[in-house]
Amino acid sequence: MGSYELSLVTLAAIYAMLALSLNLITGFCGQISLGHAAFFGAGAYAAALLSKSGGPFVAALGAGMLVAALFGLVVGLASLRVRHDFLAITTMGVGFLFLGFVRKQKALGAELGISGIPDHGLGAWGLALLAVALTVATAILSLHIRRAWAGRAFAAIADDEDTARTMGIDVVRYKLVAFVMGTAIAGLAGGVFAHFTRFIIPDAFGFTVSISILAMVIVGGIGSTWGVLVGAVMLTLLPELFRFINDYKLLIYGSLLLLVMRFAPGGLAGALAPLFRRAGTAAGGAR
Amino acid sequence: MSLLEIDAVTVRFGGILALEQVSFALEAGELLGLIGPNGAGKTTMLRAITGVVAPTVGRIRLDGRDITGLSTDRRVRLGLALTHQIVRPLRAMTALDNVVCAAGHAKTASFLRALATRHSLAEERRAREFLALVGIAEFADAMPSAMPLGALKRLEVARALALSPRVLLLDEPLAGLNHVEAARLADTIVGLNRSGLSIVLIEHNLGEVLRICQRLVVLDNGSRIAAGDPQTVIADATVRAAYLGQEAGHAAA
Amino acid sequence: MLQLELTIQGLINGSMYALMAVGLTLVYGLLRILHVAHAGLYTLGAYIAVLIANASGSLLLGAAVAIPAVGLAGMAVYRLLYEPILDRPPYVALIASIGLFIVMEEAYRLVFGPYGETFSTPYLAGRLAIGPIGAKGAEVLMVIAAFGLLTLLALLARRTRFGVAWRATVSDPAMARSFGVDTIKVRYVNFFVASGLAASAAILVAVLNNLVEPTMGSVPSYKTLAIIVLGGLGNVAGTLAASLALGVIEAFGTIYIGHLLDRDAIAFLFLVLVLMIRPQGLFAAK
Repeated sequence: MGSYELSLVTLAAIYAMLALSLNLITGFCGQISLGHAAFFGAGAYAAALLSKSGGPFVAALGAGMLVAALFGLVVGLASLRVRHDFLAITTMGVGFLFLGFVRKQKALGAELGISGIPDHGLGAWGLALLAVALTVATAILSLHIRRAWAGRAFAAIADDEDTARTMGIDVVRYKLVAFVMGTAIAGLAGGVFAHFTRFIIPDAFGFTVSISILAMVIVGGIGSTWGVLVGAVMLTLLPELFRFINDYKLLIYGSLLLLVMRFAPGGLAGALAPLFRRAGTAAGGAR
Repeated sequence: MSLLEIDAVTVRFGGILALEQVSFALEAGELLGLIGPNGAGKTTMLRAITGVVAPTVGRIRLDGRDITGLSTDRRVRLGLALTHQIVRPLRAMTALDNVVCAAGHAKTASFLRALATRHSLAEERRAREFLALVGIAEFADAMPSAMPLGALKRLEVARALALSPRVLLLDEPLAGLNHVEAARLADTIVGLNRSGLSIVLIEHNLGEVLRICQRLVVLDNGSRIAAGDPQTVIADATVRAAYLGQEAGHAAA
Repeated sequence: MLQLELTIQGLINGSMYALMAVGLTLVYGLLRILHVAHAGLYTLGAYIAVLIANASGSLLLGAAVAIPAVGLAGMAVYRLLYEPILDRPPYVALIASIGLFIVMEEAYRLVFGPYGETFSTPYLAGRLAIGPIGAKGAEVLMVIAAFGLLTLLALLARRTRFGVAWRATVSDPAMARSFGVDTIKVRYVNFFVASGLAASAAILVAVLNNLVEPTMGSVPSYKTLAIIVLGGLGNVAGTLAASLALGVIEAFGTIYIGHLLDRDAIAFLFLVLVLMIRPQGLFAAK
């Protein structure tokens, strides 16, 4: 595998982590978020700063997770105040605010971003393996949650949060946990990304990126771990593998969002579920 | 000590007095009917008990414990279960999974426990029992969208029972059902009460209420106007005036 | 003096926001859809106008074709995209709308190129001055057009039979239907009018900047969502107030907090703050 292929693997793994982490919030817990790239960015900036000030790589990743999770906790608290499309607008607003703030901070390099992020010391192979391992771990966590009682509680909240309350489910706590988990993983992906490119600019975490992550979740099948994994890898790699697609990347993402929502809201997983449905495993499919 | 105590509850929305100094209590093992004409404050009372609206003044106690400021889910975990007047099934799950989810209340009560626990065979067995108990065992694998209203009303009851409640609040469980279905569900409610469950029944169907309840509390215009055994209450002049007044109002309109 | 100029600049921008946001809030009031693709129709209006103006030499002809054409395009968006998914959860239409907006922006880029079109003869570029206060002709036209069109809309809504039916449908569709209002027709007219207003806003902006580019809808698209939420979704008067207020606040904000926050993020700062304090919006009825 050449360095180009390795970088593709790393990039696909980073986006798969992002999509899976958004799926925890939006797919499992039903809290729509249009600002996921902000948490990715918060993690990337925190990790980059810690690394540049001489911290070890692992600590930088930890810092990325922590900062993103704290930020996620705050937005999670906001999700307790607003629902549905209002939450969508709020999270979108948070994304724009994050970008508008970062762009003006000299300490964060403003428009020019942060360059010269130190080498992670793992080599290209090492970093690719790390990214893949983290993605696999996120996928395993997702699959486990879906089957555990926590998954049932999330599903109840996503379905109808008032009813979930009358079933004794602590909606506040579950929502906050979903936001903290999802954003922490996005922050971790940000830390990996910062050390992968070793150069970050605000635009790498803009609204377009939030929408791309959402497109991966929706195309794969909202709520389905396997579907989202496939959706993320497909949407990351296709434009890279077929160069001619690259110029139409956004056009494709936009069309997919449009067509999936209009014709197949269950995404890939929803469309394929009837083919793969076995007794007792239908719950893992699209909702 | 009463199981559920409503102590001088007043609810005010802006300038409107929805409930004024209403007190009553549910004794252990009792089937209590809460009745009153439209707009009497029954729904507001129910919402105050479940924690959807906060009383302006007054306390609500469950088994001696003050639950006035607690969230709905907290009250449910303390043993208060309710059914919705307008059915609210979780639409993405089968009837069985609706009940299983409620039956696992001890596991979903703590996130960490919910994260660590996967097995659900015991809950599934119990859920099937509750579905059978309310008479909709044949709908276990049906999605709510494919169930008739009568079955969905019973699903509400099964789900509430699965929470192993100490007090069951039924909000107009008979509304929308035909005569036969209503009588059958009323019989089911009596059966639950005989097995030891304490129940507050909010209901418009006076015929069934008089047939099955041991005691009635009557609200009108946000106040308690009568309480006692059904025959005495229904003979009470104030109660008759409240209901007749409304009938007269309807006739005029 | 700076304050006065900032206020005027703010009102000019606010007028543009108002022309766009009123249509959005009407769509929301009627269908509970956050119609992001509105900004794609806006850009479409500017392209049609600039192409026809340059081909014919008449801006007026360009506007006269663009406004109804975009109105029809808005009706098509309703019919083809939203109508089939009205009964789905609200996020479905929102995401579909975002998808359509991205597709439209990309289509403009691919068809017309990324660098944008200019008018072969710039219009209304001269400055008008009243004492020490000056504004470009196009800016004055923007304010006049916004007030004129929105006043006309208000008059139509109040004085005509259809206007009454429209308002009735926005406040209670089921009730309106029971009174014999053709609520489907109301929806089509609503999309026609809203999209036409967006097109006129875009033409004015195009004249003002003498530039039509594929991304000209990006900034207003999401910002007007913030405005209609601040205005109390579905509330036209509140939306107007929020549009003008945001225009002025941005003008001042750029000067006074520009070092802390990007100008285009100011709207969202208010959005998030207001939603946290009053989740139903600043000017909501209850």
